[in-house]
Amino acid sequence: MDRQETILVVDDNRDNVDILSAFLESRGYRVAVAEEGKAALSRLEEVHPDLVLLDVMMPGMDGWQVCRTIKSHPEYGSTRVVMVTAKGGFEDKFEGMRSGADDYVVKPVDLDELEEKIERNLSAGGRRQ
Amino acid sequence: MKIVARVRDGELLNTVTEAAGALEAELIVIGGEEGDNDHQLVDALRTHPDLVLIEYELAGSLGELRAETRARGIGLITVCRNGEEGLSAARAQVDEWFTYPFSVEEVEGRIQAAAIRVDPDVASRGQARTAEYLQYEELLYDRFTGFPTLPVMVERGREMLERTGRVTILYIEFVRYSKLEEIYGWQKLDEVLQTTANGVRDFYDRERGEEENLLMVSHAGDDDFIFFTDLRGSPEVTDKRINEVSERLEADVRTRLEEDHGEDIAGLFGIYVGAATIFRNPKIRTERNLYRGIREAAQAARSVVHRERTRKIADLKTTLRRGAVYVEYHPIVVTETADVYGYEALARGSLRGLRSPEVLFSVAEEANLIWELSRLCRRRAIEGMASLLDPDQFLFLNVDPHDFRDPTFRYLDVDDLGIQHPELIVFEITERTAITDYPAFQEHLRNFRDQGFRFAVDDAGSGYAGLGSIANLAPDYIKLDISLISGIDTNFMKQNLVETMVSFANDHGILVIAEGVERDEEYETVKGLGVHLTQGFLFHQPRYAGRPKVKQLAD
Repeated sequence: MDRQETILVVDDNRDNVDILSAFLESRGYRVAVAEEGKAALSRLEEVHPDLVLLDVMMPGMDGWQVCRTIKSHPEYGSTRVVMVTAKGGFEDKFEGMRSGADDYVVKPVDLDELEEKIERNLSAGGRRQ
Repeated sequence: MKIVARVRDGELLNTVTEAAGALEAELIVIGGEEGDNDHQLVDALRTHPDLVLIEYELAGSLGELRAETRARGIGLITVCRNGEEGLSAARAQVDEWFTYPFSVEEVEGRIQAAAIRVDPDVASRGQARTAEYLQYEELLYDRFTGFPTLPVMVERGREMLERTGRVTILYIEFVRYSKLEEIYGWQKLDEVLQTTANGVRDFYDRERGEEENLLMVSHAGDDDFIFFTDLRGSPEVTDKRINEVSERLEADVRTRLEEDHGEDIAGLFGIYVGAATIFRNPKIRTERNLYRGIREAAQAARSVVHRERTRKIADLKTTLRRGAVYVEYHPIVVTETADVYGYEALARGSLRGLRSPEVLFSVAEEANLIWELSRLCRRRAIEGMASLLDPDQFLFLNVDPHDFRDPTFRYLDVDDLGIQHPELIVFEITERTAITDYPAFQEHLRNFRDQGFRFAVDDAGSGYAGLGSIANLAPDYIKLDISLISGIDTNFMKQNLVETMVSFANDHGILVIAEGVERDEEYETVKGLGVHLTQGFLFHQPRYAGRPKVKQLAD
């Protein structure tokens, strides 16, 4: 089941990246990976992902900053961004809303929930185009 | 890119290796002692590298090596121990040289610079097009607008001055009459800045096409722009033409702003043009002359701003004296049934240039007339409601926390204002203005509550207070900020936030109002999330209680 949709996974933790990419690949997505914010931005331009799965807590540029940069990008601003956050606090969600994120999942990530959220974002993203 | 390095020093070798790695260049290292492996260098040159990087003392005759590499179209970089070696390297015309100490970044930069010098196309071949090169480009051309930045502009201005003997500088200053960024978010401000740049470009493209004039534009950061032009003629003619040109420029930008963002947002901007003309003067250094002209033009623009501000304050005083505000009543409906629940009163000025409430209040703040203006707006809003509201409809009035320090408001005389049902009046307190003295503030609120008035927290979610401070005020209503509502149908983050706020409100007996609902999809979404009340242009256009009482005055 090849869906031809590309997901960019951004996380500084190698184990998380491995688990998430293996899962997403098993669901038929093409997966690209970046281990920090700046790399994520150059990967974005290389692979034109349909959705970015973005960890919030990263050294250097944090996930919110990366999200802000993606969302203000003239070409890739409409890319769907799903944040992976450690806490699901109210203030965190506001931060997410302000940085332009479309959705979020809370760690530890429930894979079924993740799949559902990815699907709803991909179809909402498609609807908007 | 392929680099041959002849290096003995370990530290240098590490740095070069790292720099080559960062540039994704192929690195061939031939180390060792002087003299004994010259044949290695000769062999290496035959493998068609792009660059040779060599320690000065390992180079033997630098002149010969230079000739050899040049004949083969190979770049040459020399690493020198001191300035003296550097000088001889420079004399030998190597492409780049550098001395100890150095950083990886510097070595990277030298390699790139040498590569570009040997073959300018190398930059576009991809490998060398790395961050540093892009950064240079960004320094010369504004990323946002594509216009050249000031250093490039001054260089061209110099040519213009040499050629025509005079240059007229127009400085465009944009003034924002509101905290646009705080209210609508940085994305909105970015969009608006892009629009102003587009307007400037419209003007530039047209004027350049129509007239024989030389015209150049530069982006001076944020939202200021600088034009160089060579308007000729007698001083009077030039003054007249500068005015004409300024007016056309202003019109272009304003048209764009209105088209892209609507009159309300366009009304928040003042566009002012200042001009200065400089003449060729062999005694004055040309760059200095140009910069002086730019400063003069900027000052002229600011003095126009200042004049305009003075005029606006005078207009505000006229407005207050004549009571020249009128009130728009924006309907708030019950989400489930779309029945009108009440109206939010928004005051607008009758005089041109003071229509937008944001401009009106920001001028009042500058002139220290904010209480007077607030009083007038409240009075007008309450007067108008009698003819407009059904007996069970609510009137929402905007109140600034500073108003609570105004004695005439704090001891609001209900009878004097002709308010028969205080319980149908809801004061909206914006979350944006910081409330510093909570106990005193709550004391004031209690006074009003005792008389029957209700309260709403306005702009909730715009980021100035969390749920905690909302709970502190114990309002009757929470008005969700427009930034939470716009596009909510496809943004799950916003849906989740609104859901949380609705459930918080339900727990505390508060009603939630969604502001700025403009599309069917947004309405369906907020309805699905259980938002109690809805406001926005989707349902009803604003209503007026009669037309503005004072006829519009000519400027």
